[in-house]
Amino acid sequence: MRRLWTAAAAVWLPVVVTAATAGWRDELPERIATHWSGSGPADGWSSTTGFWLAMLVAGLVSGIAALAAAATATRSNAQPADRVRRMAAARGVVIGAASVSGGAAGVWVATATATLADPADPRLGWRFGWFVLGMAWGLAAWLIAGRTPEIDVPAEPPVDALDLAPTERAAFSTTLRSNLMFGLMLATSAVLAVTALLTQPVLWLAAPIPLLLGLVFARIRVTADRRGLRLVAGLAGVPFKRIPLDQIRTAEAAEINPAEWGGWGYRVLPGRSALVLRGGRGLVLHLRDGRRFAVTMDDPRTPAALLNGLTANH
Amino acid sequence: MLFRVDVAAAEPLADQIAAQVRGGIMRGELAAGERLPAARELAEVLDVNLHTVLRAYGQLRDEDLIELRRGRGAMVRGDADAARLRLAELARDFVREARRQGLGETEMLEIVKGARP
Repeated sequence: MRRLWTAAAAVWLPVVVTAATAGWRDELPERIATHWSGSGPADGWSSTTGFWLAMLVAGLVSGIAALAAAATATRSNAQPADRVRRMAAARGVVIGAASVSGGAAGVWVATATATLADPADPRLGWRFGWFVLGMAWGLAAWLIAGRTPEIDVPAEPPVDALDLAPTERAAFSTTLRSNLMFGLMLATSAVLAVTALLTQPVLWLAAPIPLLLGLVFARIRVTADRRGLRLVAGLAGVPFKRIPLDQIRTAEAAEINPAEWGGWGYRVLPGRSALVLRGGRGLVLHLRDGRRFAVTMDDPRTPAALLNGLTANH
Repeated sequence: MLFRVDVAAAEPLADQIAAQVRGGIMRGELAAGERLPAARELAEVLDVNLHTVLRAYGQLRDEDLIELRRGRGAMVRGDADAARLRLAELARDFVREARRQGLGETEMLEIVKGARP
Protein backbone atom coordinates (compact mmCIF):
# COMPACT_ATOMS: atom_id res chain seq x y z
CA MET A 1 0.00 0.00 0.00
CA ARG A 2 2.86 2.33 0.94
CA ARG A 3 4.60 1.46 -2.31
CA LEU A 4 1.51 2.39 -4.31
CA TRP A 5 1.39 5.83 -2.64
CA THR A 6 5.10 6.29 -3.32
CA ALA A 7 4.57 5.40 -7.00
CA ALA A 8 1.64 7.84 -7.17
CA ALA A 9 3.85 10.56 -5.67
CA ALA A 10 6.56 9.75 -8.23
CA VAL A 11 4.09 10.66 -10.99
CA TRP A 12 4.53 14.27 -9.81
CA LEU A 13 8.29 14.39 -10.36
CA PRO A 14 8.05 15.10 -14.12
CA VAL A 15 5.44 17.78 -13.30
CA VAL A 16 8.00 19.42 -11.02
CA VAL A 17 10.55 19.30 -13.86
CA THR A 18 8.12 21.04 -16.25
CA ALA A 19 7.16 23.61 -13.62
CA ALA A 20 10.77 24.28 -12.59
CA THR A 21 11.84 24.96 -16.18
CA ALA A 22 9.13 27.60 -16.68
CA GLY A 23 11.96 30.16 -16.76
CA TRP A 24 13.14 28.81 -20.15
CA ARG A 25 10.20 30.60 -21.68
CA ASP A 26 11.97 33.95 -21.05
CA GLU A 27 14.96 32.83 -23.12
CA LEU A 28 12.86 31.23 -25.84
CA PRO A 29 11.19 33.07 -28.74
CA GLU A 30 7.41 33.51 -28.68
CA ARG A 31 6.93 30.47 -30.90
CA ILE A 32 9.08 27.38 -30.80
CA ALA A 33 9.58 24.40 -33.08
CA THR A 34 7.45 21.52 -31.86
CA HIS A 35 7.40 19.12 -34.76
CA TRP A 36 10.08 17.42 -36.80
CA SER A 37 9.99 14.78 -39.48
CA GLY A 38 13.01 12.53 -39.19
CA SER A 39 16.34 14.26 -38.57
CA GLY A 40 15.65 17.26 -40.82
CA PRO A 41 14.71 20.82 -39.88
CA ALA A 42 11.55 21.57 -37.89
CA ASP A 43 8.24 21.62 -39.78
CA GLY A 44 5.81 22.66 -37.04
CA TRP A 45 5.73 25.52 -34.53
CA SER A 46 3.57 26.37 -31.49
CA SER A 47 3.19 29.17 -28.98
CA THR A 48 5.89 28.65 -26.35
CA THR A 49 3.72 29.37 -23.32
CA GLY A 50 0.76 27.45 -24.73
CA PHE A 51 2.92 24.41 -25.40
CA TRP A 52 4.51 24.56 -21.95
CA LEU A 53 1.09 24.94 -20.33
CA ALA A 54 -0.34 21.98 -22.28
CA MET A 55 2.50 19.73 -21.10
CA LEU A 56 2.12 21.01 -17.51
CA VAL A 57 -1.63 20.33 -17.54
CA ALA A 58 -1.08 16.82 -18.97
CA GLY A 59 1.28 16.17 -16.06
CA LEU A 60 -1.09 17.66 -13.48
CA VAL A 61 -4.04 15.59 -14.71
CA SER A 62 -1.91 12.42 -14.61
CA GLY A 63 -0.73 13.26 -11.10
CA ILE A 64 -4.25 13.83 -9.83
CA ALA A 65 -5.47 10.62 -11.51
CA ALA A 66 -2.66 8.64 -9.84
CA LEU A 67 -3.44 10.03 -6.38
CA ALA A 68 -7.16 9.39 -6.86
CA ALA A 69 -6.44 5.81 -7.93
CA ALA A 70 -4.22 5.23 -4.89
CA ALA A 71 -6.91 6.71 -2.63
CA THR A 72 -9.65 4.41 -3.95
CA ALA A 73 -7.36 1.40 -3.61
CA THR A 74 -6.61 2.14 0.03
CA ARG A 75 -10.21 2.51 1.15
CA SER A 76 -10.40 -0.18 3.81
CA ASN A 77 -14.07 -1.07 4.00
CA ALA A 78 -14.01 -3.49 1.06
CA GLN A 79 -13.81 -7.29 1.00
CA PRO A 80 -10.24 -8.70 0.77
CA ALA A 81 -10.83 -9.89 -2.81
CA ASP A 82 -12.25 -6.49 -3.76
CA ARG A 83 -9.26 -4.74 -2.26
CA VAL A 84 -6.83 -6.89 -4.21
CA ARG A 85 -8.76 -6.16 -7.38
CA ARG A 86 -8.80 -2.44 -6.66
CA MET A 87 -5.09 -2.49 -5.90
CA ALA A 88 -4.38 -4.13 -9.25
CA ALA A 89 -6.53 -1.58 -11.10
CA ALA A 90 -4.97 1.37 -9.24
CA ARG A 91 -1.49 0.04 -9.96
CA GLY A 92 -2.30 0.05 -13.68
CA VAL A 93 -3.60 3.64 -13.52
CA VAL A 94 -0.52 4.84 -11.59
CA ILE A 95 1.89 3.23 -14.06
CA GLY A 96 0.00 4.68 -17.03
CA ALA A 97 -0.15 8.10 -15.38
CA ALA A 98 3.60 8.05 -14.69
CA SER A 99 4.24 7.28 -18.35
CA VAL A 100 2.00 10.13 -19.56
CA SER A 101 3.38 12.57 -17.00
CA GLY A 102 6.98 11.63 -17.84
CA GLY A 103 6.29 11.73 -21.58
CA ALA A 104 4.78 15.24 -21.34
CA ALA A 105 7.78 16.54 -19.40
CA GLY A 106 10.10 14.79 -21.88
CA VAL A 107 8.39 16.48 -24.84
CA TRP A 108 8.78 19.89 -23.18
CA VAL A 109 12.44 19.36 -22.29
CA ALA A 110 13.29 17.95 -25.75
CA THR A 111 11.62 20.77 -27.74
CA ALA A 112 12.73 23.58 -25.44
CA THR A 113 16.38 22.48 -25.32
CA ALA A 114 16.40 22.00 -29.11
CA THR A 115 15.51 25.67 -29.62
CA LEU A 116 17.75 26.84 -26.78
CA ALA A 117 20.72 25.05 -28.38
CA ASP A 118 20.23 26.61 -31.80
CA PRO A 119 17.36 29.14 -32.08
CA ALA A 120 18.02 29.66 -35.79
CA ASP A 121 17.77 26.03 -36.88
CA PRO A 122 16.50 23.82 -34.01
CA ARG A 123 17.14 20.13 -34.57
CA LEU A 124 15.53 17.39 -32.45
CA GLY A 125 18.12 14.65 -33.07
CA TRP A 126 19.24 12.83 -29.97
CA ARG A 127 16.97 14.99 -27.80
CA PHE A 128 14.13 12.66 -28.79
CA GLY A 129 15.70 10.53 -26.05
CA TRP A 130 14.24 12.92 -23.43
CA PHE A 131 10.78 11.88 -24.56
CA VAL A 132 11.69 8.17 -24.46
CA LEU A 133 13.22 8.67 -21.03
CA GLY A 134 10.06 10.45 -19.87
CA MET A 135 7.82 7.62 -21.10
CA ALA A 136 10.12 5.19 -19.29
CA TRP A 137 9.13 6.91 -16.04
CA GLY A 138 6.18 4.49 -16.16
CA LEU A 139 8.74 1.70 -15.82
CA ALA A 140 10.09 3.37 -12.69
CA ALA A 141 6.55 3.57 -11.27
CA TRP A 142 6.11 -0.09 -12.14
CA LEU A 143 9.22 -0.96 -10.13
CA ILE A 144 8.22 1.27 -7.21
CA ALA A 145 4.62 -0.05 -7.06
CA GLY A 146 5.84 -3.64 -6.73
CA ARG A 147 4.14 -6.80 -7.84
CA THR A 148 0.38 -7.18 -8.11
CA PRO A 149 -0.97 -9.07 -5.13
CA GLU A 150 -2.26 -12.53 -6.01
CA ILE A 151 -6.03 -12.82 -6.15
CA ASP A 152 -7.12 -15.83 -4.17
CA VAL A 153 -10.89 -15.84 -4.29
CA PRO A 154 -12.57 -18.97 -2.97
CA ALA A 155 -14.67 -20.72 -5.61
CA GLU A 156 -18.42 -20.29 -5.25
CA PRO A 157 -20.16 -23.50 -4.18
CA PRO A 158 -22.75 -24.72 -6.70
CA VAL A 159 -26.23 -23.24 -6.32
CA ASP A 160 -28.96 -25.67 -5.32
CA ALA A 161 -32.26 -25.39 -7.13
CA LEU A 162 -34.96 -23.49 -5.25
CA ASP A 163 -37.47 -26.09 -4.13
CA LEU A 164 -40.82 -24.88 -5.43
CA ALA A 165 -44.05 -26.69 -4.56
CA PRO A 166 -46.43 -27.22 -7.51
CA THR A 167 -48.69 -24.49 -6.08
CA GLU A 168 -45.84 -22.01 -5.62
CA ARG A 169 -44.91 -19.20 -7.98
CA ALA A 170 -41.72 -17.21 -7.77
CA ALA A 171 -40.08 -14.30 -9.59
CA PHE A 172 -36.87 -12.36 -9.06
CA SER A 173 -36.24 -8.74 -9.90
CA THR A 174 -33.37 -6.40 -9.12
CA THR A 175 -32.00 -3.11 -10.39
CA LEU A 176 -28.32 -2.74 -11.26
CA ARG A 177 -26.82 0.71 -10.92
CA SER A 178 -23.55 1.77 -12.35
CA ASN A 179 -22.53 5.23 -11.27
CA LEU A 180 -19.02 4.61 -12.56
CA MET A 181 -20.28 3.89 -16.10
CA PHE A 182 -22.59 6.87 -15.94
CA GLY A 183 -19.76 9.10 -14.75
CA LEU A 184 -17.50 7.88 -17.57
CA MET A 185 -20.19 8.53 -20.17
CA LEU A 186 -20.83 11.98 -18.71
CA ALA A 187 -17.09 12.77 -18.81
CA THR A 188 -16.82 11.55 -22.42
CA SER A 189 -19.72 13.81 -23.41
CA ALA A 190 -18.10 16.74 -21.61
CA VAL A 191 -14.75 16.17 -23.36
CA LEU A 192 -16.50 15.92 -26.75
CA ALA A 193 -18.47 19.10 -26.03
CA VAL A 194 -15.32 21.03 -25.05
CA THR A 195 -13.49 19.76 -28.15
CA ALA A 196 -16.46 20.75 -30.30
CA LEU A 197 -16.49 24.20 -28.73
CA LEU A 198 -12.76 24.77 -29.23
CA THR A 199 -11.88 23.14 -32.52
CA GLN A 200 -14.19 20.67 -34.20
CA PRO A 201 -17.81 21.91 -34.41
CA VAL A 202 -18.79 18.69 -36.20
CA LEU A 203 -18.34 16.88 -32.87
CA TRP A 204 -21.50 18.55 -31.57
CA LEU A 205 -23.34 15.74 -33.35
CA ALA A 206 -21.46 13.07 -31.39
CA ALA A 207 -21.32 14.81 -28.00
CA PRO A 208 -24.76 13.79 -26.70
CA ILE A 209 -24.40 10.13 -27.69
CA PRO A 210 -22.36 8.94 -24.66
CA LEU A 211 -24.66 10.93 -22.38
CA LEU A 212 -27.74 9.25 -23.85
CA LEU A 213 -26.10 5.81 -23.58
CA GLY A 214 -25.23 6.60 -19.97
CA LEU A 215 -28.80 7.65 -19.18
CA VAL A 216 -30.25 4.54 -20.80
CA PHE A 217 -27.83 2.08 -19.20
CA ALA A 218 -27.25 3.75 -15.81
CA ARG A 219 -30.01 1.57 -14.41
CA ILE A 220 -30.66 -1.93 -15.64
CA ARG A 221 -33.45 -4.10 -14.38
CA VAL A 222 -32.70 -7.81 -14.27
CA THR A 223 -35.62 -10.21 -13.94
CA ALA A 224 -35.57 -13.99 -13.58
CA ASP A 225 -38.89 -15.78 -13.70
CA ARG A 226 -40.88 -18.34 -15.65
CA ARG A 227 -40.11 -16.47 -18.86
CA GLY A 228 -36.37 -16.80 -18.29
CA LEU A 229 -33.79 -14.05 -17.81
CA ARG A 230 -34.34 -10.49 -19.02
CA LEU A 231 -32.23 -7.37 -18.97
CA VAL A 232 -34.14 -4.15 -19.39
CA ALA A 233 -32.51 -0.74 -19.90
CA GLY A 234 -33.87 1.27 -16.99
CA LEU A 235 -34.80 4.66 -18.34
CA ALA A 236 -36.23 3.62 -21.67
CA GLY A 237 -37.74 0.33 -20.45
CA VAL A 238 -36.35 -1.49 -23.48
CA PRO A 239 -35.47 -5.17 -23.01
CA PHE A 240 -32.08 -5.61 -24.68
CA LYS A 241 -31.37 -9.19 -23.67
CA ARG A 242 -33.84 -12.05 -23.32
CA ILE A 243 -32.93 -15.63 -22.59
CA PRO A 244 -36.00 -17.89 -22.60
CA LEU A 245 -36.18 -20.39 -19.74
CA ASP A 246 -36.04 -23.41 -22.05
CA GLN A 247 -32.63 -22.28 -23.32
CA ILE A 248 -31.11 -22.30 -19.84
CA ARG A 249 -29.41 -25.49 -18.72
CA THR A 250 -28.02 -24.38 -15.36
CA ALA A 251 -27.35 -21.18 -13.49
CA GLU A 252 -24.48 -20.53 -11.11
CA ALA A 253 -22.87 -17.76 -9.09
CA ALA A 254 -19.26 -17.00 -9.95
CA GLU A 255 -16.50 -14.41 -9.75
CA ILE A 256 -16.55 -12.26 -12.86
CA ASN A 257 -13.11 -10.96 -13.71
CA PRO A 258 -13.54 -8.25 -16.38
CA ALA A 259 -10.18 -9.25 -17.93
CA GLU A 260 -11.54 -12.75 -18.61
CA TRP A 261 -14.81 -11.47 -20.09
CA GLY A 262 -13.35 -8.92 -22.46
CA GLY A 263 -13.63 -5.82 -20.29
CA TRP A 264 -16.44 -3.66 -18.98
CA GLY A 265 -19.83 -3.03 -20.52
CA TYR A 266 -21.77 -5.36 -22.80
CA ARG A 267 -19.18 -7.84 -24.04
CA VAL A 268 -19.56 -10.41 -26.78
CA LEU A 269 -16.88 -13.08 -27.11
CA PRO A 270 -16.95 -16.35 -29.07
CA GLY A 271 -19.25 -18.70 -27.17
CA ARG A 272 -20.16 -16.27 -24.45
CA SER A 273 -21.45 -12.80 -23.73
CA ALA A 274 -21.74 -10.73 -20.59
CA LEU A 275 -22.86 -7.49 -19.06
CA VAL A 276 -19.94 -6.48 -16.85
CA LEU A 277 -20.58 -3.39 -14.74
CA ARG A 278 -17.80 -4.11 -12.23
CA GLY A 279 -15.46 -6.87 -11.13
CA GLY A 280 -16.88 -9.26 -8.54
CA ARG A 281 -19.76 -11.65 -8.15
CA GLY A 282 -22.14 -12.35 -10.93
CA LEU A 283 -24.76 -14.68 -12.31
CA VAL A 284 -23.54 -17.08 -15.01
CA LEU A 285 -25.99 -19.00 -17.18
CA HIS A 286 -24.95 -22.12 -19.08
CA LEU A 287 -27.20 -22.33 -22.12
CA ARG A 288 -28.41 -25.39 -23.98
CA ASP A 289 -26.53 -24.39 -27.13
CA GLY A 290 -23.27 -24.51 -25.16
CA ARG A 291 -22.87 -20.76 -24.80
CA ARG A 292 -22.65 -18.81 -21.58
CA PHE A 293 -24.10 -15.51 -20.44
CA ALA A 294 -22.96 -13.57 -17.38
CA VAL A 295 -24.18 -10.45 -15.59
CA THR A 296 -22.55 -8.91 -12.53
CA MET A 297 -24.75 -8.37 -9.47
CA ASP A 298 -24.55 -8.38 -5.68
CA ASP A 299 -26.68 -11.40 -4.87
CA PRO A 300 -26.38 -13.85 -7.79
CA ARG A 301 -27.28 -16.93 -5.72
CA THR A 302 -30.96 -16.00 -5.39
CA PRO A 303 -31.73 -15.72 -9.13
CA ALA A 304 -29.44 -18.71 -9.82
CA ALA A 305 -31.38 -20.88 -7.36
CA LEU A 306 -34.69 -19.70 -8.80
CA LEU A 307 -33.69 -20.38 -12.41
CA ASN A 308 -32.32 -23.81 -11.46
CA GLY A 309 -35.62 -24.53 -9.68
CA LEU A 310 -37.71 -23.31 -12.62
CA THR A 311 -35.75 -25.30 -15.21
CA ALA A 312 -36.05 -28.44 -13.04
CA ASN A 313 -39.84 -28.06 -12.90
CA HIS A 314 -40.14 -27.15 -16.54
CA MET B 1 -35.45 -9.49 -4.54
CA LEU B 2 -37.41 -12.71 -4.72
CA PHE B 3 -41.20 -12.75 -4.88
CA ARG B 4 -42.55 -16.11 -3.82
CA VAL B 5 -46.25 -16.89 -3.39
CA ASP B 6 -48.22 -20.05 -2.77
CA VAL B 7 -51.64 -20.17 -4.39
CA ALA B 8 -52.66 -23.02 -2.04
CA ALA B 9 -51.84 -21.08 1.17
CA ALA B 10 -54.62 -19.74 3.39
CA GLU B 11 -53.13 -16.22 3.39
CA PRO B 12 -54.53 -14.09 0.55
CA LEU B 13 -52.13 -13.70 -2.39
CA ALA B 14 -52.08 -9.89 -2.11
CA ASP B 15 -51.00 -10.19 1.55
CA GLN B 16 -48.29 -12.64 0.55
CA ILE B 17 -46.90 -10.26 -2.08
CA ALA B 18 -47.04 -7.29 0.31
CA ALA B 19 -45.26 -9.37 2.97
CA GLN B 20 -42.45 -10.18 0.51
CA VAL B 21 -41.89 -6.49 -0.21
CA ARG B 22 -41.88 -5.68 3.53
CA GLY B 23 -39.33 -8.46 4.04
CA GLY B 24 -37.22 -7.06 1.21
CA ILE B 25 -37.19 -3.60 2.83
CA MET B 26 -36.43 -5.04 6.28
CA ARG B 27 -33.50 -7.11 4.97
CA GLY B 28 -32.17 -4.12 3.05
CA GLU B 29 -32.61 -5.81 -0.35
CA LEU B 30 -34.92 -3.00 -1.41
CA ALA B 31 -33.23 0.34 -0.88
CA ALA B 32 -34.96 3.70 -0.88
CA GLY B 33 -35.78 4.77 -4.43
CA GLU B 34 -35.68 1.20 -5.74
CA ARG B 35 -38.41 0.51 -8.24
CA LEU B 36 -40.72 -2.48 -7.83
CA PRO B 37 -41.65 -4.49 -10.92
CA ALA B 38 -44.58 -3.05 -12.84
CA ALA B 39 -47.83 -4.52 -11.47
CA ARG B 40 -48.81 -5.91 -14.87
CA GLU B 41 -45.44 -7.62 -15.32
CA LEU B 42 -45.38 -9.09 -11.80
CA ALA B 43 -48.94 -10.38 -12.23
CA GLU B 44 -47.93 -12.03 -15.50
CA VAL B 45 -44.80 -13.79 -14.22
CA LEU B 46 -46.42 -14.92 -10.96
CA ASP B 47 -49.51 -15.96 -12.91
CA VAL B 48 -51.87 -14.06 -10.61
CA ASN B 49 -54.58 -11.50 -11.27
CA LEU B 50 -53.43 -7.92 -11.96
CA HIS B 51 -55.80 -6.66 -9.26
CA THR B 52 -54.12 -8.92 -6.71
CA VAL B 53 -50.79 -7.17 -7.31
CA LEU B 54 -52.47 -3.75 -7.37
CA ARG B 55 -54.11 -4.56 -4.02
CA ALA B 56 -50.73 -5.56 -2.56
CA TYR B 57 -49.10 -2.34 -3.83
CA GLY B 58 -52.07 -0.36 -2.49
CA GLN B 59 -51.55 -1.89 0.97
CA LEU B 60 -47.88 -0.95 0.90
CA ARG B 61 -48.73 2.60 -0.15
CA ASP B 62 -51.22 2.88 2.73
CA GLU B 63 -48.43 1.76 5.06
CA ASP B 64 -46.25 4.61 3.69
CA LEU B 65 -43.68 2.12 2.40
CA ILE B 66 -43.96 2.77 -1.33
CA GLU B 67 -45.04 5.57 -3.63
CA LEU B 68 -47.37 4.87 -6.52
CA ARG B 69 -47.21 7.29 -9.42
CA ARG B 70 -49.06 7.06 -12.65
CA GLY B 71 -46.69 6.10 -15.42
CA ARG B 72 -43.71 5.73 -13.09
CA GLY B 73 -44.81 2.63 -11.23
CA ALA B 74 -44.10 1.70 -7.62
CA MET B 75 -41.03 3.01 -5.83
CA VAL B 76 -39.74 2.35 -2.32
CA ARG B 77 -40.10 5.57 -0.32
CA GLY B 78 -37.02 7.35 0.95
CA ASP B 79 -38.42 7.42 4.47
CA ALA B 80 -39.44 3.73 4.53
CA ASP B 81 -38.37 2.85 8.07
CA ALA B 82 -37.03 -0.73 8.41
CA ALA B 83 -36.95 -0.64 12.24
CA ARG B 84 -40.54 0.57 12.54
CA LEU B 85 -41.54 -1.94 9.91
CA ARG B 86 -40.12 -4.76 12.03
CA LEU B 87 -42.25 -3.59 14.98
CA ALA B 88 -45.33 -3.45 12.77
CA GLU B 89 -44.64 -7.02 11.65
CA LEU B 90 -44.34 -8.18 15.27
CA ALA B 91 -47.58 -6.35 16.13
CA ARG B 92 -49.31 -8.03 13.20
CA ASP B 93 -48.21 -11.47 14.44
CA PHE B 94 -49.30 -10.55 17.95
CA VAL B 95 -52.76 -9.41 16.84
CA ARG B 96 -53.20 -12.52 14.69
CA GLU B 97 -52.38 -14.82 17.60
CA ALA B 98 -54.52 -12.80 20.03
CA ARG B 99 -57.52 -12.99 17.64
CA ARG B 100 -56.97 -16.72 17.34
CA GLN B 101 -57.18 -16.96 21.12
CA GLY B 102 -60.40 -14.96 21.03
CA LEU B 103 -59.06 -11.84 22.74
CA GLY B 104 -60.67 -8.42 22.17
CA GLU B 105 -58.98 -5.07 21.62
CA THR B 106 -59.03 -4.03 25.31
CA GLU B 107 -57.40 -7.29 26.37
CA MET B 108 -54.71 -6.94 23.70
CA LEU B 109 -53.90 -3.39 24.84
CA GLU B 110 -53.70 -4.59 28.43
CA ILE B 111 -51.19 -7.27 27.47
CA VAL B 112 -49.09 -4.68 25.61
CA LYS B 113 -49.19 -2.31 28.60
CA GLY B 114 -48.33 -5.18 30.94
CA ALA B 115 -45.31 -6.04 28.78
CA ARG B 116 -43.61 -2.78 29.81
CA PRO B 117 -40.76 -3.40 32.24
